[in-house]
This record gives sequence, structure tokens and C-alpha cells, in this order.
Amino acid sequence: MNDRRFSRRGALGLLGAAGAAVALPGCGSSVGGGSGDGGGGGGGGSVKIGLIIPQAGVYAPVGADLKRGWDLWLERNGGKLGDHPVSTVVGDEGESPQTGVPAVQKLIQNDRCDILVGVVSSSTALGVRDMVIESKKLLLISNAGAVDITGKAASPYLWRTSFTNNQVSAAMGRHLASQGFKDAVYTIAPDYAAGAESLAAFAKAFQAGGGTIAGSAKPPFGKTQDYQPFLSAIRASGAKATFCFFAGAEAVAFVKQYSQFGLAGAIPLYGTGFLTEGGVLPAQGDAALGVQTTLHYSSELDNQANKDFVAAYQARYNEAPTCYAVQTWDAALVLNRALKSAGGLDGDSVSKALGSVGTIDDSPRGPWSFDGQSPKQKFYLRKVDKRDGRYVNTVLADLGELARDA
Amino acid sequence: MLSWLDANLVSILNGVAIGFLLFILAIGLSLIFGMMDVLNLAHGALFLLGAYLAWAIAGGDPSWGGFLLAIAVAALVGLASGGVLAVAVEPLRRRGHLDQALLTLGVALVAAELLALLFGRDVRGIDPPPGLDRGVVVLGDQYPVYRLALIGVGLVLAVVAHLVVERTTVGSLIRATVADRDMVSAIGVAQHRVRFAVLGLGSLMAAVAGVLGGPIYGARPGLDATVLILALVVVVIGGLGSVRGALVAALLIGQIESLGRAVLADAASFILFGALAIVLILWPQGLFARQGAR
Repeated sequence: MNDRRFSRRGALGLLGAAGAAVALPGCGSSVGGGSGDGGGGGGGGSVKIGLIIPQAGVYAPVGADLKRGWDLWLERNGGKLGDHPVSTVVGDEGESPQTGVPAVQKLIQNDRCDILVGVVSSSTALGVRDMVIESKKLLLISNAGAVDITGKAASPYLWRTSFTNNQVSAAMGRHLASQGFKDAVYTIAPDYAAGAESLAAFAKAFQAGGGTIAGSAKPPFGKTQDYQPFLSAIRASGAKATFCFFAGAEAVAFVKQYSQFGLAGAIPLYGTGFLTEGGVLPAQGDAALGVQTTLHYSSELDNQANKDFVAAYQARYNEAPTCYAVQTWDAALVLNRALKSAGGLDGDSVSKALGSVGTIDDSPRGPWSFDGQSPKQKFYLRKVDKRDGRYVNTVLADLGELARDA
Repeated sequence: MLSWLDANLVSILNGVAIGFLLFILAIGLSLIFGMMDVLNLAHGALFLLGAYLAWAIAGGDPSWGGFLLAIAVAALVGLASGGVLAVAVEPLRRRGHLDQALLTLGVALVAAELLALLFGRDVRGIDPPPGLDRGVVVLGDQYPVYRLALIGVGLVLAVVAHLVVERTTVGSLIRATVADRDMVSAIGVAQHRVRFAVLGLGSLMAAVAGVLGGPIYGARPGLDATVLILALVVVVIGGLGSVRGALVAALLIGQIESLGRAVLADAASFILFGALAIVLILWPQGLFARQGAR
């Protein structure tokens, strides 16, 4: 027994050593690197974009969609942002700041990228904040949703084209309070930062509308495969509806089990849009039918920009686009506008130019504008439906515009 | 007390179902690790392979034919993988657990990456075969039939595994090998054959467990590590070289994961390893360690 435990610990030690060895070259370059020339000036020179996306780990499917949106915009617009021909260097964000921070460091110091785009995880976004500010590069976040990124931790160098966790959840809180579920909604989300932020924003908006929370649960993030104990608690609470925040594998497990344990028929399920967005939806299958979510996008949106976008995306990737693809598509869209007027590619010039792009009226998600460097945008109520053998998020209603700190 | 029981009966039942799934998952590891003294960290990857096979064969259009075919294919692929593993660890036989762990960990990492290349990085959902995809009302609440069926399958496998190990010639050879390897060699039994058989059979069980667990856990990158840890916990708590120990430990973990999380919701993330720590302090050899197994 003892020697076995020793060997396992030994193996762990070796793994740790291997991890350290991988991290070391990154540290070395922070000494050697330093302030480079920072790219060309305003007129026509090429621009180097560092695209930070997870290529491995649980967020890899989101990363793939982010890359597709970015590539597609460039393909359809002559590979130029403003008048600058674009070269894109991809950095692998991985699953956590342990991999994400060195990836960003490499893009800044080794690859000498002019502008950074991407970042899925909020903790990575907050982890690279100081480095980005110090290097005076602009980071255009195209997923990470923590309010703090453009709130408490705001900096002129941090902009965002995605959403805030607050917006998405507050939209649903407001909606449910007006829907006769006032007396009892159960809320559930994994016990990590985004989950907590989401539940708090929902509760605030829901209670402001006169709603009462029947109960709340926070299953351990990444350690819950079976939701039965929580489903029993929801049933016992007497809730009239459930609001949840889940993404990825947990979204699939939760939605499937919610249906298997017979709750779907009795207590309708509501959630943030990530619950049924992209690759998780076909995995949930029929269990997801009827689930309603709020999000700033659906591939079913009825506007010309979206129709063109969906057609182009379908033709290129043979799949319906997701909100993730739209977030990098829009990143390219706003950078294109900004770089037309920017005095240079440094963070200060680009930040200033982004401040004057005004309303973005040709986005697939509908018109939106920057409000405190994060989108002020419309949210849509969506319902999972099956059409021609495919699962889609049909748009039930336009819930109106929400500010970033809603 | 009665009302407490009433409120938590479904959690207790579910704990039994999850426990039997964990037993099917861990019995292979217990066989290999406990009896043959080979630390097989690729066990979780084999489980994930089974889950992906279930998705690829029966995922699109759930049918009994597809599900049974998936089990058969997983069994064959598992057996073959076990054979490869047996050949691979053979040269490391005298070199201790660390070398074995490094080898099988390497195999597990490579296998996980190959699976991601083959099946993509998206999360895959697997539906139970027709008839088992419904819910029935048990104790006043709806409960998935598939999980009830899993209890039956687990029971049968537990009885079979017990009979094979305790009542057959092969079983007595395995037990003898656990107790004194050199003596078994001395009476003329080719040790590597026993090792080959056990690794093959254990890996077969891991892959089949992946198919059976598919409708509950799905298939996704990272699932291999999750189930490997659960299986290791079961083996450590149950003690080495014991079918009974693996069964009791799996059922115990099932209750901790189900009833424990329902009752102690706030401590949900630590109770599993808390229980492991308590067992290791009180019974360092596990609950049902076989004499001679070390």
C-alpha cells in the first residue's frame, strides 16, 4: 500500500516538473523581451493580430467557433482590417490562466502582435490584464463575460465584443418576473465565479420585478456528473420554474437529466443562452426541446446582416453559426472600422478609435454600441425547437436593450 | 426520521444505481491493479473509448441492435487494447509502480488525444436503448428506467465476477498469483499468461463500462480522467484484490455521491475525498484487503 502511494506521488511530482519546464521558457522571454517597436504606423502597413483561443481542454469547441468567425470575416473582406493586410497568429489559451497567461505573453513578446483578440475564460482575461496594460497593446475580448473586466478592472486597453454575465442573466430575470413565475423560481449554477455572478444578476433583476427565489444550489464545478440530488431538491422546493447557468458538458448532463427525471414536463427550464448554444444542443437532443434561454444572438434572428452571415457560414463550415462565431466576426467588424481612423496600431490609438465607432449597425446580432467598452445590446428570448431534423434556438421575443452592468 | 427517509429515498436508490455503474467501471481496475499489481492509468481512457464507441454506433438512432453491437465492439476493442497493454508493461514487470504509472499515463494521454482527433472535441450525448429511455414513477417521483436496468446488470456482473474469482480454476490461479507469484511460477504456470488474461479481461470491462455508462455520463474529452479518479478511489477504499471490496466500496461511493450530496449540499465537493481520507486513516489497507495483497 505504502509503496503504491509513493509511486503515485512520484508520478505527480514528475508531472509537476514537466509543467514547470514548459512554463520556464515563457518566464525567460519576459526578461529578454521588453518594449519592442510595436508594429507599423497608421498608413497601410500590415497588422499582426494575436488570436487567443482554447485549442485543447473543455473550451476547445468554443475556441473553434471563435476562430471560424474571425477567419470568415477576413476571407469575405479581402483579408484587411482598415487598410492593413492582416496576419493572424493563434495562441492556445487552454483551460485556465496557467496556460492562458503564457500564451498571451508569447503573442505579445515573441510574436510582437499589434492587437490581441479572443480570450474565453474570465480568469485568463483578468490574469493577463496587467501584462496587456504594461505592453500598451489593445485586447479586444471576444468571449470572457466577467463584469469586472470592463468594470472594476477596467483599462483603456481592455475592450469587449461579447457580453457580460450580468446582462444575459438579468434579461431572463426581468422576463420571468413578468411571466407569472413570480412566487417561486429555483436557481442553480456551478460554484465558480461566472456561475455566482450569473445567479446574483438573475436574482437582482427577478426580485426587482417582484419575484421570489424558492431555493438555490451550487453544484461543484467540474466535479458533478450526476445532478439527481439537486433535481430532487428542485422538486421538493415547490418551484414553478428553474433558472440555470451551465455550459459545455455540464449543460448537456443537466438538460438531459432534467428531462430523464421527469422535471421537464412539470417545472419549465430556463437558462442563459450558453445552455443550448452550439455543439451542446445536438448532444442534448430531444431533452432540450422547449427549454427557453436568453442571449444576444440566435442563428434564427431575422435581419439581413444575419441572413447573409448564416448563409456564408453554412456554405463555409456546413453548420449553423453560434454566438461565439458572431463575437469574433464583430471583433473584426469593429477593428476594421477603428483602424480606418486610428492614428497607429498601438493600444492608445486603437482604443481612441474604438471609442468613436458609434453604433454597429451591420452586425448579425442586430445593432449594438460600446457602453463602457463592452456591448450595450439587445437580448432575445429563445426556445429550442426541432426543424428539418435539426435543433434550433427559435426567437420568441426581443427583450430589449441591456447595459453591461444591468 | 420517516419524513427524512421519504425525502431522500430517491437519492438512496440513485446512489445504488451510480454505485453499480462505479462497480462495473472499477472492477476491471481492481482486477488489474489489485490482483496483477499493474497500475493501469489508461483505465479511464478505455472507458472513454467505450463511451465514444457507443456514441458512434448507437448515438444517432438509439436501437437495441446498435447498443448491443456497441457493447460487442467495445468488448473486442477493450480485449485487444488490454493485450497491447500487457505486452507494453511486460518489460517493466520488475521495475516498480512508478515506471508502470509513467508508461500507462503516457498511453492514457496519447489515447485521449487520439480519441479527440477521431471523435472531435464536442460533448456527445448518448440515449439509452428504446424502452429504457423512459421514466417510471418510483417512490412517488419519476426515475429513469435505464438506471434501474443498470442496477440489474451490475448485480449480475458482481455475481459472475465473484464466482469466477472464487470458484473457478482461473480464479484460484489469479488468487494464487496475488498471494505468491514465484510459487505459482514454480509449479509450472506461465505467469505472463495470467497477466495477459487479467489485463485483457480488465480492459474489456473498462470499455464495456464506457458503453453502459454512456447514457449517464455521455462522452467528452476529460471524462477519462474523471472516471479514472473515481475508479482509483473505489479500489483504494475497497482494498486490493477483492471483488467484494470493490462492490462495497462502489456502493459506498455511490451513496456519498448521491445521498451525501443531497444531505450535505454545502460540502458536496469535499465529501468524496473526505471519506477517502477517513478510510485511509482507519483502514490503511482498504476495507476488504485480501491477505497477501500489497
